[in-house]
Amino acid sequence: MSPLHFLLLGTLLFGIGLVGVIARRNLFVVYMSIELMLSAVNLLLATFSRIRGDEGGAVLSLLLIAVIAAEAAIFLAMIIALFRAKRSIDAHDFTQLSQEHNA
Amino acid sequence: MIYELFLILPMMLIVLGALMLMLLSHREAPLNRNMLSVLILALAFGLTLSRLGEAHSVFVFEAIFGRSFIVDSFSTLFDLMILGGAMLTLLINHDYFKSRHYFDGDFFALVLFAVFGMMALSHAHELISAFISLEIASLSIYALVGYNSDNPKSREAMMKYVVLGSLAGALFMLGLALIYGATGSTELGAIAAHIAAHPQDAHTMLIIGGFFVMVTLFFKIGAVPFHAWVVDVYHGAPLPVTMLMASTFKIALFAVILRIYLGDFAALGDFWSLPLQILCVLTLIGGSFLALSQSNIKRMLAGSSVVHAGYMLIALNAITLGNFNASESILFYLMSYFISSVGAFGILSFLAAHEHKQLTFEDFKGFGYSHPYLAAMMSIFMLSLAGFPSTIGFLGKFYIFTGAIEAGQIALAALGIFVAFVSIFYYFRLIATMYFYDTPKTEQHFGFDTTTVLILLMAILSIWGGIGTALLPYLPTPDALIELSRHAITSLD
Repeated sequence: MSPLHFLLLGTLLFGIGLVGVIARRNLFVVYMSIELMLSAVNLLLATFSRIRGDEGGAVLSLLLIAVIAAEAAIFLAMIIALFRAKRSIDAHDFTQLSQEHNA
Repeated sequence: MIYELFLILPMMLIVLGALMLMLLSHREAPLNRNMLSVLILALAFGLTLSRLGEAHSVFVFEAIFGRSFIVDSFSTLFDLMILGGAMLTLLINHDYFKSRHYFDGDFFALVLFAVFGMMALSHAHELISAFISLEIASLSIYALVGYNSDNPKSREAMMKYVVLGSLAGALFMLGLALIYGATGSTELGAIAAHIAAHPQDAHTMLIIGGFFVMVTLFFKIGAVPFHAWVVDVYHGAPLPVTMLMASTFKIALFAVILRIYLGDFAALGDFWSLPLQILCVLTLIGGSFLALSQSNIKRMLAGSSVVHAGYMLIALNAITLGNFNASESILFYLMSYFISSVGAFGILSFLAAHEHKQLTFEDFKGFGYSHPYLAAMMSIFMLSLAGFPSTIGFLGKFYIFTGAIEAGQIALAALGIFVAFVSIFYYFRLIATMYFYDTPKTEQHFGFDTTTVLILLMAILSIWGGIGTALLPYLPTPDALIELSRHAITSLD
């Protein structure tokens, strides 16, 4: 497989993730979609690094994995806090502020 | 080596202070953590202040970190603004912290981590370090927004901010990957060199990447089409966190936007100009609609903060058209917006601490009779936010609009002035509510404590910034602030 195939795969994964964030209401699925987008970007970085014959890109993707992990920690903590409060992780169950706007 | 350590000492102090506060967070010591964090911030502020005016531009620890962190006059000025902003935010909320039980040591540790992220953002000279600093600041602020997890509003605000913020972070990473693919580097200097070495039409991938990076930054400052979260998050977050997001975080974001626009993408200015103009128009008009429709003061200020971001985008657009003088007007506007909005939010926090109200327009009926001094100061802040002459907000808008007209953006400046007139409606609505209704309540005593003294200071600063040039000799004037900003901008070239 040529590196271009990987670029295509990365773009596809990013698109799937984006659709997931927009279309799904379950916060856990939203979280997984965002992770998918981030992993797609890492794949793109590694592929670019291969195409250019430069190790820098692969190192960048390693650095970014650390940042993604930090984001995952706060996202999961938030999901737990929300679940404890309402026994639900459906985004549509948390609409108090937006209703206030319409009232 | 030692000199470079000295240069980053303020940032190290903030991190060490945050770690120390974390260690102390569950100790039952009779300890005022708010004052402790203010002390740490003040130490860092003093150290940074001692370097103000020095002309230098050093890549910190170039042998280890490459050219990813820079210390120059630009970052020094932004550090001062961020540290001063955080310090005033913490001090002005003194009463509010005392009135709520949930502010423990972790809260102040998170505030300091967020301040560290913002400072690092103004030092970033590379997209990866910019992204990591942005995430340090954002992740701390996500946690701060949902800090009062017993309050359903706070939880909901955190949910909205985290989901949309992570999405924006993913777009930043995509942009970064595309820029890396196009240029082989993420260092701003190398990207600028790449742009200069290649013909204009060979930059498609770079421009798309840069576009994604910009989308993230504009999301964070709340420019319209990316503003869906602003009002809800500002409303749901605890008041001190709203202040931190509305003023200090915005300062840090404009630091990195200015660095990218003035340094790295300056050569691509022709391309940026059109999307920015569309964004300006949308932000000014959309933000006005947001602010007009609110009945809660906190939500109204949140909506108007979108409009204020729009004014600064006008100046940013003037920069992309080659009028680099406009960058000083952004700096001055950031300071003027900071002073007026922190003052206004400070009064809200004072009232929330003492009277436990929802703070709608209804609650302010007759405020001018029950709290005459606070009402007078609130009027000053509203006048300043609306850009009334003789306040600092007027000068800020004046510099922005002249910059836009110099760059040939007459229509955009006209729209800005029109939106400023519209903004008079929702700001003066509050003033009218305060004075045009009777109240059964008797006049409240105006007591001097940390919060009220700081609100008073902000009110004096708003007026002094507008007229005080010749009245107080030996004190720096708005012209000196502009001079300072100009000096800082020159260090970017």
